[in-house]
Amino acid sequence: MKDEKVLEVKNLQTYFYSSEGIAKAVDGVSFTLHKGETLGIVGESGCGKSMTSLSLLRLVPSPPGKIINGEILLNNTDLLKLSDEELRKIRGNKISMIFQEPMTSLNPVLTVGEQIAETIRLHQGLSRKEAWQKAVEMIRLVGIPAPEKRAKQEPYQLSGGMRQRIMIAMALACTPDVLIADEPTTALDVTIQAQIIDIIRNLQQQLGMSIIFITHDLGVVAEICDKIAVMYAGQVVEEGATDSIFAKPLHPYTNGLIQSLPKLYEDQEELSTIHGTVPSTYDYPIGCRYAERCPFATDLCHDQQPDLMTVVDDKKVRCWMYSEEWQGKHLRGAV
Amino acid sequence: MTLFILKRLAQIIPVTLGVTLVVFLIMQMIPGDPAIILAGEGASTETVEELRENLGLNKPLYVQYGEYVNDLLHGDMGHSLKNKQPVLEEIATRLPITIELAFYSILITIVLGLIAGIISAIRPYSIIDASFMVVALLGISLPSFWLGILLMYVFSVQLQWLPVAGWDSAKHIILPAITLGAGGAAIVARMTRSSMLDVVNQDYIRTAKAKGLKGYVIIAKHALRNALIPVITVVGLQFGSLLGGTVLVESVFAVNGLGRMIVDAIRTRDIPVVQGGVLVASLIFVVINLAVDIMYRLFNKRIDLN
Amino acid sequence: MTTKNMHKPLLQVKDLKQHFALKKEKLFGEKQVVKAVDGVSFDIMPGETLSIVGESGCGKSTTGRSILRLDEPTAGEVLLFGKNLVEMTKKELRLARKDIQIIFQDPYASLNPRRTIRQMLTEAMSIQKVVPPAQQEARMLELMSFVGLRPEYLERYPHEFSGGQRQRIGIARALAVNPKLIICDESVSALDVSIQAQILNLLKKLQRELDLTFLFISHDLSVVRHISDRVMVMYLGKVVEIADKHSLFSQPHHPYTKALFSSIPIIDKEHRKERILLKGDIPSPLNPPSGCSFHTRCPFATDKCKAEIPNLRDITPTHKVACHFAENLV
Repeated sequence: MKDEKVLEVKNLQTYFYSSEGIAKAVDGVSFTLHKGETLGIVGESGCGKSMTSLSLLRLVPSPPGKIINGEILLNNTDLLKLSDEELRKIRGNKISMIFQEPMTSLNPVLTVGEQIAETIRLHQGLSRKEAWQKAVEMIRLVGIPAPEKRAKQEPYQLSGGMRQRIMIAMALACTPDVLIADEPTTALDVTIQAQIIDIIRNLQQQLGMSIIFITHDLGVVAEICDKIAVMYAGQVVEEGATDSIFAKPLHPYTNGLIQSLPKLYEDQEELSTIHGTVPSTYDYPIGCRYAERCPFATDLCHDQQPDLMTVVDDKKVRCWMYSEEWQGKHLRGAV
Repeated sequence: MTLFILKRLAQIIPVTLGVTLVVFLIMQMIPGDPAIILAGEGASTETVEELRENLGLNKPLYVQYGEYVNDLLHGDMGHSLKNKQPVLEEIATRLPITIELAFYSILITIVLGLIAGIISAIRPYSIIDASFMVVALLGISLPSFWLGILLMYVFSVQLQWLPVAGWDSAKHIILPAITLGAGGAAIVARMTRSSMLDVVNQDYIRTAKAKGLKGYVIIAKHALRNALIPVITVVGLQFGSLLGGTVLVESVFAVNGLGRMIVDAIRTRDIPVVQGGVLVASLIFVVINLAVDIMYRLFNKRIDLN
Repeated sequence: MTTKNMHKPLLQVKDLKQHFALKKEKLFGEKQVVKAVDGVSFDIMPGETLSIVGESGCGKSTTGRSILRLDEPTAGEVLLFGKNLVEMTKKELRLARKDIQIIFQDPYASLNPRRTIRQMLTEAMSIQKVVPPAQQEARMLELMSFVGLRPEYLERYPHEFSGGQRQRIGIARALAVNPKLIICDESVSALDVSIQAQILNLLKKLQRELDLTFLFISHDLSVVRHISDRVMVMYLGKVVEIADKHSLFSQPHHPYTKALFSSIPIIDKEHRKERILLKGDIPSPLNPPSGCSFHTRCPFATDKCKAEIPNLRDITPTHKVACHFAENLV
């Protein structure tokens, strides 16, 4: 069952055009999502992970943003080739999305029940009454007590954690194939985050959807994702199974990221850091985008951009150290 | 909420008293002696004095004010110095005309303003948007008496589609209402546009798009309701300038409303009529403000609590 | 630690309360009061780092602000070197503030966008008159090197810097007056992990070199574990547990602390604990539960917890807990 491809993204490029130049927010991102699988897209601010997720449903603010290249294949249909009307039938139905800010992502003047029910009426053609019943059911499903009462309330009457549950109820109301969760727990307290992660995991088992989980929090990724794509400067720099990435990160950036986290079960006098800063999205270096900050960089890294290459099994990395060129030059068994 | 409404109602009392005092004092300060004007040119000093005695104009100011307020409390606004008619009756015949004019004007303000603002916001920086906003800028900048005369010249004198002045048929209402409503419509259009543009960039609009809702549903159901909250305040403020505007517009189009009554009374130093007219206008203003405040709070409750 | 404990505390906070009155909403209703900080006491020894952790609304940031009297405390004492800040006149307080500085979460919001770094540092030094004008230039260069910024950056404006650099500027400004105690209010929370590591290393280095004392306020437990000597856990305006970090992290006593620790997502599978999922949300501080304020979410709550407010009491000499059943729950 896991082998069935649900979503395949190929060479996605989303650029932003402004007076300052062209910001290459997403610059050639590819990944595959199988049925029932959870893919984590991780990276620091500005790496393009959120813009990747918005691109999938063509929600990038335009202008100034534009998807200039790539394919987004949902069950072999390219979403980038659909008309607006056809795409509308996919949004909230086959692919749905939850966002970082539960406080602002719900409409303040509509009851939460109506906000869920309208999606159900739209995509499933149920009557007002049936849709409301189903909305109440969904609110019950995400673990909110007294769902009949809560459905009639407006967002300001609910806590942050409850609002995020409502967002989840809304996103899952039409049992989508894919749920995109863009930093869904970042704005929440850690005990509430634990509740939300628990709900998402449970509902995935019940409903069988695939999840793309976007976050900067490596701990959250480690707990919830089957596989991970690490993004840096608009590109995927490493991709592989979660366990294998944390056990043996291949890309120097992935390794640097993991090492710079303070450990909860170990005393450290000093944390290891990544030297320097992220390059500007307007002006990437010609070679590897991480070369300037990389302790292993050579002339090759500065001059030529590496491809995302398969190293072993499903593990991919965008780094010259794992190429034949490098192995020949340095006689080094990197893997 | 109840507490808020009671508090606001209680505020009306001192405000009203203040209005009566200001109105009373200003009329005293205006140069020109009503007794002399009433008696007519060349009347003898005795006649004038007798008139003054009868009208109570020779009593001390505070006594005059006290009597004035006392009469008001008994529903007596005094009699016109000119035609001896009770002021209240005069106002009762004039006020409905002004209210009618104000009603159609505010209708124009709201309907034209909202439509133009929404269309502009849906296609921002387009040619339609730009031309609407230029017209809106003109609408704000042009003084209403000038606009009134211009409209009158084009539609009544040149095209002869509409009557020049008066208040007899529906046709008579069109030009004065447009003249009076235009400025407000322009302000409402600009406010609606900027408020809508702000709202369409909110996260919940992105959520609505991600749900697959149709474009017009997103605008009408999700964006507009939120965008209207600040517009309500602006519309409320328009009522104030509208009342002021009736004075000018009624004069330009020779409409026998409250505004024109006040202007005429000022010209003839008919103090009771001026006082009555200004008092009623002020009270209407106070009540409308109260209504707008309460409405805004009802709409805005949820946002306050955030 | 043992030698440090011989000294007198640098800061003593005694029964600090910060109550905010809300506007009356109902005609016949009681005036509502939010007890943001409700009877908090702790000491900080010279040279140590005490952290306050807790979730939103627990009062950790308000505690920091009350100590500096950025919000006037409702009751309690704040003794800095034995002198009570709460009773000081405005003038005395201004002088005392040269010993306590604060660094906020969003460095950009707390830096004046129209002033260069030089102007900002000069102003900070001049207000407190700690550095004679003739030595200000040298001092500024020293500050820039302390926080790892190039001297030519002095002429730049805040918007020309990245988030991490701005936080360095915030630290330089705080250091300008030679403070003894620095309150870091979520100072690294907005930063990416790689930058966060740089700033945490910087803070530790500065503490060693300049003999600083930190009150570190954060919701991030792994950051707190890394930087602190002692840790204080707050819930709904009260201290629920305070201990040296090893004792607290290896053996938390309070059920809330346990649930909090178990909620942290962990990378290493072998360190993952069984998660204690708390029921429901944090209660509103407007209407806190009776007795122990955690009883509504506590899996072990009894009738006693509903009725009696537990005192903060010693479990070991370095470990205090506010729970009726702390001993039974380990």
